[in-house]
Amino acid sequence: MQQEAMVRDDPPGKTTAQFRQGSALRQLWETNLEVFQRDKMALFGLCIFAVFALVALLAPILAPNDPLTPLKNANGDWIKDALPYWLAEPGEDEAEGYTNEFLLGTTNIGRDIFSQLIHGSRSALLVGFSAAAAVAVIGTVVGLLAGYYGGWVDTVLMRAADVAFGIPFIPFIIVIAAFFDPSIWNVVLAMAVLLWRDTGRVIRSQVLVIKEQAFVSAARVSGASNLRIIFVYIAPSILPLSFLYGSFAIAWAILTEASVSFLGFSDPNTISWGFMLQDAFLSLALTRGAFYWIIPPGLCIMLTVMAGFFIGRGYEEVLFPRLRRM
Amino acid sequence: MSILSIRDLKVDYATQEGTVQAVDGVSLDVDEGQQLGLIGESGCGKTTLLKAIVQVLPRNGRITAGKIMFNGIDMLQLSKTEMRQLRWREIATIPQASMDSLNPVQRVGSQLMKLLRVRGGYDKRAARRRAADLFDLVGLDTERLMHYPHEFSGGMKQRAVIAMALALEPSLLIADEPVTALDVIVQHQILEVLRELEQELNLTVMLITHDISVVAQVCDSVAVMYAGRIVEQAAAEPFFHAPAHPYSLGLQQAFPNLARPRDELVSIEGYPPDLREPPSGCRFAERCPFVQDSCHDIDPRLELVGDNRLAACLRSGEMETLRSQAEDPALWQQVEVAQEPILPPPKSPSITTRGDLGAPPLATASVETPPSPSQWGGVDDDILLEMRDVSKRFKIGGGLAGLLRGDHEQTVYAVNNISFTLRRGESLGLAGESGCGKSTTGKLLVKLLDASDGEILFDGADLAHLEQDDLLNFRRRSQLMFQNPFEALNPRFTLYRSLTEPLIIHGWKDEQQRLGRVIETLDRVNLRPAEVFLDKYPHQLSGGQLQRVVLARALVLHPDFLVADEPVSMLDVSVRAGILNTTRRLARELGLATVYISHDLSLLQYTCDRIAIMYLGEIVEIGPSSGVINNPQHPYTQALIAAVPVPDPTIENPPLRIQEGIPRPTEQFIGCPFAQRCPDVMEACLDIRPPAITDEYSHMAQCHLYGDHRDSPKLKRGAEVTSGNTR
Amino acid sequence: MNRGIAYYILGRFLQSVMVLWIIVTLLFLLFRLAPSNPLASYIDTTFTKEQEAALLARFGLDKPLGEQYIIYLFNLARFELGDTFSYSGKSVLDILSADLPNTIYLTLSSLLVAYAVGVLGGIAMAALRGSLFERVGTTFTLMTRAAPTFWVGMLLLSFFAFQWKLLPSAGIGPAVVRYRWETEWDKLMSPVFWRHMILPTFTLALYLHGLPLLLMRSNMLEVLDQDYVTMSRLAGYSEWRVMIHTAARNAMLPVLTALTLGIGYSIGGNVVIENVFSWPGLGRTLVRAVQQADYPLAQGAFFLIALIIVFMNFIADILYSLLDPRVGASAQAQVS
Repeated sequence: MQQEAMVRDDPPGKTTAQFRQGSALRQLWETNLEVFQRDKMALFGLCIFAVFALVALLAPILAPNDPLTPLKNANGDWIKDALPYWLAEPGEDEAEGYTNEFLLGTTNIGRDIFSQLIHGSRSALLVGFSAAAAVAVIGTVVGLLAGYYGGWVDTVLMRAADVAFGIPFIPFIIVIAAFFDPSIWNVVLAMAVLLWRDTGRVIRSQVLVIKEQAFVSAARVSGASNLRIIFVYIAPSILPLSFLYGSFAIAWAILTEASVSFLGFSDPNTISWGFMLQDAFLSLALTRGAFYWIIPPGLCIMLTVMAGFFIGRGYEEVLFPRLRRM
Repeated sequence: MSILSIRDLKVDYATQEGTVQAVDGVSLDVDEGQQLGLIGESGCGKTTLLKAIVQVLPRNGRITAGKIMFNGIDMLQLSKTEMRQLRWREIATIPQASMDSLNPVQRVGSQLMKLLRVRGGYDKRAARRRAADLFDLVGLDTERLMHYPHEFSGGMKQRAVIAMALALEPSLLIADEPVTALDVIVQHQILEVLRELEQELNLTVMLITHDISVVAQVCDSVAVMYAGRIVEQAAAEPFFHAPAHPYSLGLQQAFPNLARPRDELVSIEGYPPDLREPPSGCRFAERCPFVQDSCHDIDPRLELVGDNRLAACLRSGEMETLRSQAEDPALWQQVEVAQEPILPPPKSPSITTRGDLGAPPLATASVETPPSPSQWGGVDDDILLEMRDVSKRFKIGGGLAGLLRGDHEQTVYAVNNISFTLRRGESLGLAGESGCGKSTTGKLLVKLLDASDGEILFDGADLAHLEQDDLLNFRRRSQLMFQNPFEALNPRFTLYRSLTEPLIIHGWKDEQQRLGRVIETLDRVNLRPAEVFLDKYPHQLSGGQLQRVVLARALVLHPDFLVADEPVSMLDVSVRAGILNTTRRLARELGLATVYISHDLSLLQYTCDRIAIMYLGEIVEIGPSSGVINNPQHPYTQALIAAVPVPDPTIENPPLRIQEGIPRPTEQFIGCPFAQRCPDVMEACLDIRPPAITDEYSHMAQCHLYGDHRDSPKLKRGAEVTSGNTR
Repeated sequence: MNRGIAYYILGRFLQSVMVLWIIVTLLFLLFRLAPSNPLASYIDTTFTKEQEAALLARFGLDKPLGEQYIIYLFNLARFELGDTFSYSGKSVLDILSADLPNTIYLTLSSLLVAYAVGVLGGIAMAALRGSLFERVGTTFTLMTRAAPTFWVGMLLLSFFAFQWKLLPSAGIGPAVVRYRWETEWDKLMSPVFWRHMILPTFTLALYLHGLPLLLMRSNMLEVLDQDYVTMSRLAGYSEWRVMIHTAARNAMLPVLTALTLGIGYSIGGNVVIENVFSWPGLGRTLVRAVQQADYPLAQGAFFLIALIIVFMNFIADILYSLLDPRVGASAQAQVS
C-alpha cells in the first residue's frame, strides 16, 4: 500500500506521468460522472435529493410553525382541522379568532401540516441514506470476501444470506420495534441486518467473474498480493454496482420507514411522512376527503423513492448497456 | 447457371463516429453445385455480406445500392413476408457461433421437428421420420433427438445445426465460420460431413471463413474479400497454387503449414483501412510490399486476369515475378505502416513511422535498472525447470455446503503424473484437444495453481515451498501470456499503468526508471513510438496491438521463463505471424525459456524446439518438434496430425481413424487412457500401463505398440473397449 | 437422471430445514433475551409472587433457558404454538388458521393479476423498445413501485369507498354475512367477499406488477440478443413466433421463479395493506399482537410467515431446476 501512495505522490514537474496513473478513485469518479451525464433521469433524481436535502437542512427556518405543537387561537382553543387558506371560506378564520396562513391546513389536533411535511424530509433522508450506506457497505464487504476467498468464508456468508432471505422483512422490523424503544433507527438496523443479502449475492457473483479474468491472473503472476488484487483490481470494478444497489436501497429504506411509521411503530416525537399518513388515517381524514392532508406526504415519499430509482437505473444502464433504452 | 448473383452491392452502418462502408461495391456469382469459399480478415465485411443477402442486418445497417438476384428473383424487391418464406426453404444459413444457435431449453429433436412442421408443412409423423433421417445424414445417433443442447458436445451441436440447415432441402447453404473454435479432430470430421453432403446432395454452398485451409478442403472456388471489396476470385486449385493478388499472397504465406515448414512466417504489417474514410486508391496499398505510386491514386477494378480468374491489382500483369518475391518474409516487413492505435483513426495517412529493419536497438531508453537480472541474454545449457511426476486434481462439490446443496464430491484428474524438463532458452510446445490438461499445466508452471502431487522445480527450488521473498523473486522470473488479449489487460488502466504495475510490485521506486523500462519494453515488442501508447486504454487498440502489450507486460520484469497460452488463437491470420515472429525473436534474444500451449500443431512446429502431446492429463508423446511432427509414434499424435487441414486443395486429408469425444477426466485408468479411442488398441492396453519408450533423439512415446506387449492380440473397436478399464 | 434430481431436491430440502432452524433459534433468542419480561403486560401489579410463579410455570418460563429451547423446538415441530395472551386465551393456532386463508386469497389473487399484466406488459415493452409507449409505460410502472402501497390504498379508499361509495371500505364482509359462512367454501362463493377483495387486490396488484414487468422486459431484451433467436429469424419463422414461442418462453423462466418467491414474500409483506383495509389476515394479527404485547401470538405469526417464505424459496429452487434443463443437469452431472 505504501507503493500505492508513492505512485500518487509524484514529484512536481512530472505531470504527464501523473496523468497516466488513472487511479482507481478517479476511475470511479468518472463512472459516476458518466452515469449522470448520460442519463438525464438520474441527474433529475440527484436534483430531487439535493432539493430535499436542502429542505431538511433548513427545516427549522423554512417551517412556519413547530410541527408537534398544537396551535391555539385567540381564545386558547386548538385550531382543529383548519383548511388550507386557499380552500377556506374567507373570513372564517377571523371569526374563529386566528389568521389562516396554513398552506396545507392543520391536523385534527391543530398541528401545522405544512411544517410537518418539511420536518418529515429529515427522517426520510436520514433513514434513507444511513440504511442505504449500511446495506451497500455490508453487502459489498460480504460479496468481496465471499467471492474472493471462497471456501468456508463463502459457505458461512452465503448460508447467512440464505437465512436473511428466509426472514420476512416488515414483520422483522415490527418485532424489532416491539423490543426496542420506537425510533427511526429500528428501520436502519433491520435493513442493515437483512437487506445486505441481495447486494452481497450480486457482488459475490460479480467478483467471481472478475477474479477469473485474465488481467487478475496476470497481476497474480506478477506477484501482486491478495490485498492489492482486491483493492486495485477488483474493488474499482464492483464499486459502481454497490452504488447501484445503494441507490435502490435508499428508495426501499424510505418506503419501509414510511410503512413502519404508518403501522404506528415509529417515535411519536419524530415527525415523518409515514407518521403523518397514519395520523390522517386514524383521524378519519379519508372519510372527510381531506386530500390536502393525505396527498402531500405520499407525493413526497413517492418523489424521493423515485429519485432513488432513477439514480439506480442510471447506474444500471451504464453497467448493463444491454438494457439501455435506444 | 448462377443461383445467387450479387451486383455492386453496398452496405452502410451508421455509427456515432460516422458512416462505415462495410460492403462497398461487391459483385459475386454463385453457380449451382458450386462451393464458394469467401475468405477475409475480421472486419472485411464478409459477415455483413451474408446478413445483407438474407436481410437480417442490424438496425443501423442499410443496403444503399446494388442488386441481389436469387434464382432470377430480385431479393431486395421482396416484401418482408416473401423474404421470410424464402429463408431456410431456399437459403439456409448456419450463423457464426452456431454452438449457441440451439434453444437451450428445448430438446434438439423438437426444435428440428418444429422447423419441419412450421416451415416445411410436414405432419407430425413425417416430421419425426425426416428428423431421424437428417440425424443419420449428419452422423448423429437418432437417440440424440431427445437430448437437450447442453448434453451435446461442440461437434455434435454443429452437426445438429447442419441437419437443421438441410431440413428443407435449400438450394443454397451459407455457412459462416462453421468450424472455428472446434478442436482439430472435430473440425476434420465436420469438414468431412460437409464434403460428403456436397457430393451426395450436390449442394450449393457459400462458406465464409478466415481460414484458407478450410476452404482448400471443402470448396471448389474462392473469393477473397478485403476492406469491403472482393479483391480476387478464382477456382480453388489455381488460387492456391498461384494467387493473383498481393493480399492473397500474404495470407497464403502467413499460414504455418505442417507440410511445408518455414523459417519465418510472413506477417502482413499494419491494419485494414478505416472504412469511414476509405483511401481513394487501392485499399491494400498501405500494407502491400509491391506498392507503386500509382496504387495510391488509382482504384483497381476487379478484372479478368486469366482463365476465369478475377483480380483487382494494378500489377496483375507482373504477378509471376511478384509471387516469387513474396516468399521472403523480409520483404513484407519493409512495409511502412502507421503504428498508431487504430482508434481514434489517424486523420491522414501521412503520420507514418518507419518500422526499422532487422534487429531492434537494445534498450533505447538507456537507464539500466537496479534489480537488473544477470540472466538477461545468453543461453545457458543447464536445466531451468523440471516437472517431476506432477499431478493436479480438482474436487467438485463435496464438503458440508455441497452435501446441503445435493452435490456429490467428484475428482477431476486434470493433470496426471507428468514429467519433463526445460532448459534455459529452450521452447517447448504443449498440444492436445481441449480438456487435455495443457492449460492446467501452464497454470501449474507459473504457480497460479499448486500441484496436488509431485514437484515442480524452478532453478532447483520446489514451487510448493516458496515463501515471501523467494516467491516474489519467482514471480519476477516467470510470466504468463494470455489467450484473449481483450481480457488480459485491466480495462480501467492505461497501458502505462498496466505495464508499470509489475514494476511497482517489485519495488521499483523511481518513476523515471519505470517509465524508461516501460518504453524500452514497448519498443522491443514493436509498438513504436512507445510514447504514443502510454496513455491509451485497452479498448483503443486492435487485437494484435493488445497482444503485443500483453507480451510487453510479460517481459517488462525481464523474466527467465514465459508460458504463452494460445497466444494467437484469438487473432487474425495476418497479425498472428507478426506476434509469433516477435515472441520467437525476443525469446531467442533474451534467452527466455518458453512453453507454448496451443491446439495448433503447425504453430508449435514453427515456434518450438520440442513438442509434448497431452491426452487426458498425461503426456503421451514428447520429443524434438521435427520428430514428433514428421515421425509421430503414438496413435493419438498420428490422428492429431492427420486432422490438421492442409491449405492445398490437391492434398486431401487422409480419413481419420478415431472418433471425436474425450471421456470425462473423472476416471483414472489402469491401462492406457487412450485405449477407448485408439484404432490400434490391443488387449494389453486395457489393463497394463503403457511403457515410455524413448529413442536416441529423446523422442518418447508412451504406447504398447513399441513395448514388450507389442504382440498382444488386437481388439476390434467395440463394447469391450469402452467398458472395464477404468478404476 | 431422476436420481440426480432427487438428490438435488433432498439437498435443497435439508438446507431449507437448516435455514428454518436458524431462523427459529434467532426468534427464540429475540423473544427470550429481550430486555422486557415476556409476561410483563400479562402480569398485573396486584399479582402475588405465587400467582406470578404459577403463571410463569404455566407458560413454561420457570425452566432453565436450555430446557425451554428444547421444549420450544419440540412444540414448533408439532405445530403447538401455545395460547394467546389476548383473545381470551384462545390457542395461537386457532387464530392463525382463521387468518391464513384470508391472507392467501389476497396474495394469490393480487399476484395473479400482477403477473398476468406484468408478463404481457413486459413483452410489449420489449417489442416496442424505444417507443413513446414504452417510455410512458416504464415511467408509470416505476411510479407504482415508488408510491407507498398504504397511501395508494388510502387514496383508492377515499374515492371508491367514501366519495363515490362504490365499494366497501374495510374487512371481508359485515358480521351478519360472515355469520352465515360456515366453511371457507361458503366464503369463496359469496359475492360479498369478492366485493371486499376488489380494492385491496387492486392496490396490491398495482404495486406488484412492476417487478414481473421490468424483469420480463429486461429478460426479453437479453434473450432477443441471443444467437438462437437470430437463428429462428434466419429460419424464417414469423416475428410473432419468434417473440412469443422462442423469446417470451425463455424469458418467462426467471419470472416464474420470481412469482414463486413472490408468494412467500407477499404473505410477509401484505402487513401494511391488511392494516389499511382491516383485512383479517396474518399481517394484521401480527401488528395487533405486537401492539398488545401478545408474545405467543406474535411469535407464532412470525414463525408461520417465515415458514411459508422458506418453503416457497425451496419450491422456487426446485421449480427452476425442473424448468431449465441446464440447471437440473448441473445438479445431475455432479452425481452421474
